[in-house]
Amino acid sequence: MHIFEKRWSTALSADKKEYTQFVMRQDETVESFLQFDPERGIALQHTNGSLAGIPFGVKDNLAVDSYQLTCGSKILSGFTSPYTATAVQKLIDNGAVVVGKTNLDQFGMGSSTDTSAFKKTNNPWDTERVAGGSSGGSAAAVAAGLVPFALGTDTGGSVRQPASFCGIYGLKPTYGVVSRYGLTAYASSLDVVGVLSKTVDQSRIVFNLMKGQDERDNTSIMHPGSSNGGAVKRIGVLTAQKGVLHPDVEKSYAEAVGRLQQNGYTTREIDIETMKYVVPVYYTIATAEASANLARYTGIRYGYAAQDAKSSSDLMEESRNEGFGDEIKLRILLGTYVLRSGFQDQYYHRAQKIRTAIRNEFSRLFNEVDVILMPVFPTPPFKHGDSELTPFQQKVADKYTCAANLTGFPAISIPSSVENGLPVGVQLIAPPFEEERLFAVARVCEKDFPSPDSPLYKTSWS
Amino acid sequence: MDVMDLKITAELAKLALTEEETAKLSEEVARMLEYFSSMSEVDVTHLEPTNYVLQKENRTRIDSEKNESDIPDKILGNAPRREDRFIVIPNVL
Repeated sequence: MHIFEKRWSTALSADKKEYTQFVMRQDETVESFLQFDPERGIALQHTNGSLAGIPFGVKDNLAVDSYQLTCGSKILSGFTSPYTATAVQKLIDNGAVVVGKTNLDQFGMGSSTDTSAFKKTNNPWDTERVAGGSSGGSAAAVAAGLVPFALGTDTGGSVRQPASFCGIYGLKPTYGVVSRYGLTAYASSLDVVGVLSKTVDQSRIVFNLMKGQDERDNTSIMHPGSSNGGAVKRIGVLTAQKGVLHPDVEKSYAEAVGRLQQNGYTTREIDIETMKYVVPVYYTIATAEASANLARYTGIRYGYAAQDAKSSSDLMEESRNEGFGDEIKLRILLGTYVLRSGFQDQYYHRAQKIRTAIRNEFSRLFNEVDVILMPVFPTPPFKHGDSELTPFQQKVADKYTCAANLTGFPAISIPSSVENGLPVGVQLIAPPFEEERLFAVARVCEKDFPSPDSPLYKTSWS
Repeated sequence: MDVMDLKITAELAKLALTEEETAKLSEEVARMLEYFSSMSEVDVTHLEPTNYVLQKENRTRIDSEKNESDIPDKILGNAPRREDRFIVIPNVL
């Protein structure tokens, strides 16, 4: 069994014309790419390697030489990447070919991809619904069969939640094991580069090629490998409180637990006391770090510049106000506030301490179980706009995903069922550097329930 | 958070908000801060802060010149206003 179906290896050579037309036609409906331009990727191509000729998409907050880098924001419209991110370069070095840059919530801030300044990405299962976010473009592109895998980034769930919404696999690696050189920073103590793919083995091969310490990213660390060869026997199942999950998600979650038991895993219900603090802690830390990271957009060195500013101070303030979207402004203000003198102890420092308590509790749990299962998101894919989930409700719903970012532990979102025509996923979390455990359990589940094909998924270019 | 507090914060964040935005955002920021208040019930006396996970110490590199050929020019090419290799900004004085 090949990791990539045969059609992918000729998509950019013998079948280039058919493939390119196929993507352009499909993407009129899905709108997953902000820039689809395989020729640029072919110009950067290395011909040999385990991914030779395989096309992939890159979230538009990761730099790829000569492609645009907008982060989905007007403040970076027109920006051209001067170099390629290390994670992307390693895949190029192994033969893979970038075909374009995928849509995202502005700077990775959102759960719907609707905060993008450029377009709304539609879920290939139901185009009235969002593909999730912030890596919604990458998820939709994979689920629509435009690429076999795409890179995303995950600060609070931005790879796992869209993967779940689109019925595919989404890996958030251990913090630090994939270089972030060339990733536009959102929240530096949380950001990781991840993979979205149609099969488990695709995520695994891509992750293994990307990982490793990088002299260009001093926060990157070496991956020591799995301590126990990825063996999993005991799975802790987070107790799903009544009424917290949408009925479809609750049903799918129970189905996933049953599947694990049928495959011989010992499951045990667990409660995580600190779970109720993960969202406030996450948003305090993420916005604080974002307010510092986004201070670099001034309209001076690059990006959008306000016209006719009278002074350099006006230039900064006006460029930022005209260039940033509403969600970005909210988060910058919140982050600036929690870091203001007099408020730090109450918010930022307190959040960092509770973050320690959350890590401690997860570490303790991993003395008793090998992997933890929990939901990805409390609802199925929601409709565009505020009618089903307001932006505030979307933030509260990050509860299950952001714990893995606060702890730095690896996590994977896997498809668990299709309910009323929409895919639902569940999430597995492992101790640091134990991605192999995630792949092992995900593979077992994949045998019983592989990634379901969306109504738009096609296996030929005609 | 009241509107005055938001205006001070916006100034620190270098955001020239309109009156309408100020009103809307002060409401949204207040709602998030209210939501954050649950953190106050946790006893944090014996907890050390987590700044970074997994990485034990700060790593630095040698501050040496790198010759990355055409990258400086590509970076300058992204400047909104430029004269030769200088970036143009409004008068400071």
